[in-house]
Amino acid sequence: MNGQPCVNTAPLDEILARYPASETALIQVLQDVHRAYHYLPCDVLVKVAEVLDVPLAKVFSVGTFYKAFSLVPQGRTIVRVCTGTACHIRGANRLIEEIERLLKIKSGETTEDMGFTIKTVNCVGACAMAPVVIVGEQYHGSAQPAKVAKYLAETEAGHEN
Amino acid sequence: MSGVAPARGGRGRDDRERAAIRTGGKETMVTLTIDGRVAKVREGATVLDAARAIGVRIPTLCQHEALEPWGGCRLCLVDVTKKEWSGWEKMVVSCMFPAEEGLAVSTASERVVATRKVVLDLLLARCPEAPLVQSLAREYGIERTSYQENPEPTDCVLCGLCTRVCDQIGVSAISTVNRGAGKEVAPPFHEAPPDCIGCLACAEICPTDCIPYETSDLGRTIWGRRFEMVRCPHCGRAHITKEQATFYAGRGGVPESYFLACDACKRKQMAKTFTTLSLAK
Amino acid sequence: MRIESAAAYDEFHRRALDSAAAHRQEVLVCCGTGCLANGSMRVAETFTKELQARGLTAEVGNFTKRTGCHGFCQRGPLVVIQPAGILYTQVKPKDVAEICEKTVAGGTVIPRLLYKNPADNKRVEHYGDVPFYANQTRVAMRNIGKIDPTDIADAIGHDAYAGLVKVMFEMTPERVIGEIERSGLRGRGGAGFVTARKWRACRNAEGEHKFVVCNGDEGDPGAFKDRSIMEGDPHSVLEGIVIGAWAVGAHEGFIYVRDEYPLAVVNLTVAIEQARQHGFLGTNILGTGFDFDLAISRGGGAFVCGESSALMRSIEGKVGEPRQKYVHATDKGLFDRPTVLNNVETWADVGAILLHGAGWFAGMGTEKSKGTKAFSLVGKVKNTGLIELPMGMTLRDIVYGIGGGIIDDRPFKAVQTGGPSGGCVPESLLDLPVDYERLAEAGSMMGSGGMIVMDDRTCMVDVARYFLSFLTEESCGKCVPCREGLKQMLAIYDDLVAGRGKPGDIERIETLAAGMQLGSLCELGKSAPNPVLSTLRYFRSEYEAHIVAQTCPAGMCRDLTAYEIVPELCNGCHLCFKACPADAITGETKKLHTIHQEKCISCGACYDVCPTEGAVRFYPKNRPAENREAV
Repeated sequence: MNGQPCVNTAPLDEILARYPASETALIQVLQDVHRAYHYLPCDVLVKVAEVLDVPLAKVFSVGTFYKAFSLVPQGRTIVRVCTGTACHIRGANRLIEEIERLLKIKSGETTEDMGFTIKTVNCVGACAMAPVVIVGEQYHGSAQPAKVAKYLAETEAGHEN
Repeated sequence: MSGVAPARGGRGRDDRERAAIRTGGKETMVTLTIDGRVAKVREGATVLDAARAIGVRIPTLCQHEALEPWGGCRLCLVDVTKKEWSGWEKMVVSCMFPAEEGLAVSTASERVVATRKVVLDLLLARCPEAPLVQSLAREYGIERTSYQENPEPTDCVLCGLCTRVCDQIGVSAISTVNRGAGKEVAPPFHEAPPDCIGCLACAEICPTDCIPYETSDLGRTIWGRRFEMVRCPHCGRAHITKEQATFYAGRGGVPESYFLACDACKRKQMAKTFTTLSLAK
Repeated sequence: MRIESAAAYDEFHRRALDSAAAHRQEVLVCCGTGCLANGSMRVAETFTKELQARGLTAEVGNFTKRTGCHGFCQRGPLVVIQPAGILYTQVKPKDVAEICEKTVAGGTVIPRLLYKNPADNKRVEHYGDVPFYANQTRVAMRNIGKIDPTDIADAIGHDAYAGLVKVMFEMTPERVIGEIERSGLRGRGGAGFVTARKWRACRNAEGEHKFVVCNGDEGDPGAFKDRSIMEGDPHSVLEGIVIGAWAVGAHEGFIYVRDEYPLAVVNLTVAIEQARQHGFLGTNILGTGFDFDLAISRGGGAFVCGESSALMRSIEGKVGEPRQKYVHATDKGLFDRPTVLNNVETWADVGAILLHGAGWFAGMGTEKSKGTKAFSLVGKVKNTGLIELPMGMTLRDIVYGIGGGIIDDRPFKAVQTGGPSGGCVPESLLDLPVDYERLAEAGSMMGSGGMIVMDDRTCMVDVARYFLSFLTEESCGKCVPCREGLKQMLAIYDDLVAGRGKPGDIERIETLAAGMQLGSLCELGKSAPNPVLSTLRYFRSEYEAHIVAQTCPAGMCRDLTAYEIVPELCNGCHLCFKACPADAITGETKKLHTIHQEKCISCGACYDVCPTEGAVRFYPKNRPAENREAV
């Protein structure tokens, strides 16, 4: 479907077993799916719709409404730059530009080798440490453009680069 | 955790049933004024119902009597107040605000008109080529938008009527996708929607006629899906799709064969049956 | 071990205190998200190792505790040694050995790790003497920084659930609502609605099946108090919710946590499980026969889900589109049932209010805004972090007294409060007491408690544009005024900051703003014009500079600003060269540096990093070289 390859449904079955088969579980299921697959594959969404007894159109609607979800495969490491107010006035833009320059992609895009995806986040709640960059699970407070290369190099994907 | 999950889809309802549901079957009447004129409606009716009952016109886009009110277009905004509010007014959407005893409604106060103008101006920027939007805007003195015109004009005003009627029928084949200014009506994955039954309700309810479709005896196309038609065994007219027949049969517990005959021929058959019965007496 | 009577609770409480008293000292390491971002987990782990290696472990009485956010994030990682109350700042793993030796074992302080008060350059030993902490009154955040949030015994030792015990064994639901009413508690999430009114309406609503919900969505960028409370003292939230559920007659609840707060979800999950085990949650709470349980619902990343009806739709598994609220949620809310929805901080206050009494809470604050409020003080201020203060302190007290003033002592320009629904308060209003009414009169609002301090290097037109850009992405898209209005408003601002402003723009902005305020379906759209209108109200001259002269007085709008190095003042320190992201600066160490205009992107990094005053200056891009002046 959608030109995407079929994915392994085993993680999905395990996820669906954790929740009641109803609409109320939809967002939690999608989050677990996203964590397991790094995006929302379309044939997984079809199965979710079936099992939770929610129309496919509604599943798709929810999948595209919330920022946590991506319908295209994402990189192994997500680089999140916080664009909350405190981070904005303390130079989040410069951080984004530097990351875009180093990875040669724009915010929202993924590197060709699927190593990194750049995303902006509307506030991670570490405002006193503005500006904040989260590389994978690692938070970097008081982040500086000059140190971005180091933050990226500390990840697996960075080593491969 | 038990939360109560609402039932999927809904049944079609007739006017009286809908009115009864909205008014809770209540017989109490309420009296209110609209632009100074008195209106009397059943408790549970909306301000818009009351206005229509006395012939006061309030513009709407996303409202339709077959569907629950939605409150998205904001064109039907009115000012309401009550004596006990000491002059304080609030702007509400008349399609949803309940008609209450003693309510005083202004459908064209200065700020209501000003707000409607902003809404129409914004819609005209989004849909500069849609005749309905153009004419509504013109009524309020707007010939061209004061904002940036949509570089990719669309006729879709995002009133949600198409998706709402699809939900109401119980199919939910299409939905609104994305959020904010990027919101659009689309089938899942922007591909032919697997749940669509080709009933054309969405196209017919669309106020700006922006859902394209083709239909003939040979077949029907909408949302990128192609449907085969069912021919009436009596007159040969292709009147519904196969998928519609299957869907209706599934909802009502009535065999699919019932739906093969078109409505006109069904009526003729029914008339024949009654005639036969009375003759038999 | 379930607690099923007031006596059993007292016994457990006493044993928790005894067990704490058995520790001669405690080493408290802040493990809130801010300090974690600065590596505090490694500091905590190193302490555990070092204390063990030196034979200073729990048996002997020294104990490492990982706590929630202490609030003084700028100075993290933070470590407090109790009972001496010594506060060490910016602690690195390599400092741990020295701390163990000199302070824990040796009882002496290490001056270089103490907080240095910029006002008098003196080192401060005791955290209670640090102005940042000394001026606070912590109610919602009463235990954060003192307890291990994953240890319910520690929490109970600090009075967790004491309020609940009192309520269930000594009070009736009506009396509880009366106490909350007398306390003057108002919603701490933004609108400041009277909490007791909401509870009473729900209690009186028809239907047996009711819900209580905790709004942990905290979407306001710049606010993180709810995160800290959920991470650092989840039991305070649970206690409040159970009390509320009992008061209104609800048996089910949800805590909605935004997707961007994973640690809060973890700590809440642990706390919920422990609360169930001890009888504070689940069936037959405290043996009273009252059943109540709740689940965590994670958000999907949508600011609009901070709006109560959108939040409820999200819990139901739907898109976060708000509903017109002519019928209140207390009659038809979650799953169309009567629902009480309150903010995290509101719930956290409840237990303390019932324990210490309404009068105690109402004794703090102003006439209409009782009690305390948590604020996140961030931005260009020296001491950034999380604080809780009685309502009524002035902005000057907060920005200068607690915040220590502006970084690098630059001129103060404005403090932005209330997030994207709020506004900017200028210098002329610094003596404004902070409460719901006063902030609203000034064109701003309390909101979640975010206070973002701005200096002269902030362009107010850009600030308004920033919020519009934020909200444009967050609008759910259901209603025309918000969806289309934000888009068009942002387009006007994009023109303003790029020097394409036209006469009449301000009037267009004002008309559109009015349309959005009156026409939008929910508060997101209705309050979206606030940052626009407040910056227009107090900083109109900046707008006029952008429109008429096509200049940016703050030097921040890149299309309007150019930078140059003043030859007479440059000392060749080479810092600008290193800071420049566009390779636009040439120069050798100790020699004059030059900015090449064709490569320069006007980001201002050189200006900010240059240590010599005036050596880098900015000027309006559109003025010819000969008659320009530094703005």
